[in-house]
Amino acid sequence: MSGEEEENAVELKIGDEFLKAKCLMNCEVSLIFEHKYEHLQQVSEDPMNQVSQVFEKSLQYVKRFSRYKNPDVVQQVREYPLSFFSFVRVYMPYDFDRILSRHQLTEFELCVLCNLCPKTAEEAVAMVPSLKTKGRAHSDEVIEKMLNDLSLVKRFE
Amino acid sequence: MFCLSELEDTVRVPPDLLKLPLEVAIKKVLQKLFLDKVLSIGLCVSIYDIKSAEGGFVLPGDGAPTYKVVFIIVVFRPFVGEVIAARFKESDSNGLRLTLGFFEDIYVPAPLIPRPNRCEPDPCNRNQMRWVWIFEEQEYIIDDSYQINFRVENISYPPVPTERAEDGAIDDDGLGPVSWWEGCSERNNEDDDT
Repeated sequence: MSGEEEENAVELKIGDEFLKAKCLMNCEVSLIFEHKYEHLQQVSEDPMNQVSQVFEKSLQYVKRFSRYKNPDVVQQVREYPLSFFSFVRVYMPYDFDRILSRHQLTEFELCVLCNLCPKTAEEAVAMVPSLKTKGRAHSDEVIEKMLNDLSLVKRFE
Repeated sequence: MFCLSELEDTVRVPPDLLKLPLEVAIKKVLQKLFLDKVLSIGLCVSIYDIKSAEGGFVLPGDGAPTYKVVFIIVVFRPFVGEVIAARFKESDSNGLRLTLGFFEDIYVPAPLIPRPNRCEPDPCNRNQMRWVWIFEEQEYIIDDSYQINFRVENISYPPVPTERAEDGAIDDDGLGPVSWWEGCSERNNEDDDT
């Protein structure tokens, strides 16, 4: 991001590297951390010792503010390889890719929407003002359709 | 929000860790260096993965091998203008303080609290002042009953002492809080709609 342009997520000025980088939703962080915690429990006699406070408190936070809460997701996650170099969305990747391209969202906007779960178009625009800008000028109807699409995303089977 | 970030750094693995598998040893060193530290890209909350580790050369006069490591960390990185969900921590006449649990230095100064409002002594806590928002003749006490959504207005990094002599891909090696001031776009919407 150039020095002259001030950062402002309201207008989606957040630096090119973040527009394309791996922004994570809280529910994805929750999966990663749960997985890590499970792994620690398997390899260590005392997993609590291994886990730092910031990790534990972050896990608490993301579990609380997660859009997609699936009680049996930890079971699913155990079957995933611990180490994968490029992050794979464990929720139906097809769904998110479709939502991103159909509504021309950036990853950043998608993550904020999934973290805050607005129920109406008005709420969504209050939380992510850039929805109405950046040449897309989404109508309320379109935004509501998008919110509906998000609510239908299923966990990767 | 949370992000994955790829970094490269030169890592020295002290001899007492060499009995462990290399990846585990390097991870331990990385955790010590980065966990809970504020970097220019955000607050590091976890070492996600090690992509590669090269080298392992022992420099003259040193008992420990040094590796060039490429790795991925999970950082928490607030953006100006981003709306984030938090909980109430405490308040006084200057304003509110909010918390995310793993990060607690979020301040909402009085002018950015929704108006009309008033500030009064907290009947449950003599040392605290509490804020009350008045909306359509209803009064809403700002406390920890609900989630509070806030918009990041400003991020301030305290002056950071640079302990490390190496320059890696990392600019800052800081300890200490990042404080944000926000326009409190108040949304007490835990269970109901406002």
